[in-house]
Amino acid sequence: MIPTHWFLILSGILFTIGVMGVLTRKNGITIFMSIELMVNAVNLTFLAYARQFHDVHGVIFVFFIMAIAAAEAAVGLAIFISLFHHRNTIDVDEANLMHW
Amino acid sequence: MEFAIFFLFAAIAVIFALVVVLHRNPVVGALSLVASFFALAVMYVLLEAPFVAALQVIVYAGAIMVLFLFVIMLLNLKHVAEPPTRPVQQFLGYTACSAFGIGIVYFLLKYAAFETLPQGYFQADARTIGIRMFEAYVFPFEMVSILLLAAIVGALVLSGRIPGERARLDAEVGK
Repeated sequence: MIPTHWFLILSGILFTIGVMGVLTRKNGITIFMSIELMVNAVNLTFLAYARQFHDVHGVIFVFFIMAIAAAEAAVGLAIFISLFHHRNTIDVDEANLMHW
Repeated sequence: MEFAIFFLFAAIAVIFALVVVLHRNPVVGALSLVASFFALAVMYVLLEAPFVAALQVIVYAGAIMVLFLFVIMLLNLKHVAEPPTRPVQQFLGYTACSAFGIGIVYFLLKYAAFETLPQGYFQADARTIGIRMFEAYVFPFEMVSILLLAAIVGALVLSGRIPGERARLDAEVGK
């Protein structure tokens, strides 16, 4: 049986890679995929602790996180489609409509 | 044997995650993310949660990533290359997240390393999850269904599928 903290370290590494994507990329869709990567790292942490403490609530939380990530992906991608229709780009630096 | 599987799929997950972040072409990024999610599904099997592993493959790798690929296809980004990131932004981003990564791994090793392995068999199959979910989480479950409905309506409005809605939004933006 694999120790729990190895899963936690893998999760930390994946979360860090996601943060790196959000901080250094300009393509909106790539930033969105980095966010999905961070969500998955958190899911892995939830499942690791659920197994460590024999608590099924962590697994149920992962279930809800997946549903919310699906909703987030649908709305976020619709926003990018709308942005692309208006500005003909999905570069996040160009999305400055609320900039004054 | 279990350890070999863990390390193999952990390496696959990390390498494909790096490809997502570093590759310039979003299609390659999306397909790498699918590979990374499959490796994470193997992790979930190792964590004795086969139901969540199946959900990961069906919902994440199946539904959400196909949505991403469809949007990339619809946007047809071929003719607009991604502009290079400013060097200062790149430097600050890499430095900050290296520090963050080292810090989080150090913290996990120092404070969250469990000496004991979990005892006994942990059952997280569909039956157990379903019973617990409809015992204690009925209200959040219904909230999530309403949230998904709201997301569907919001996505339709934002992508301009309702006649007249597009013109109204454009008028508001132009105001």
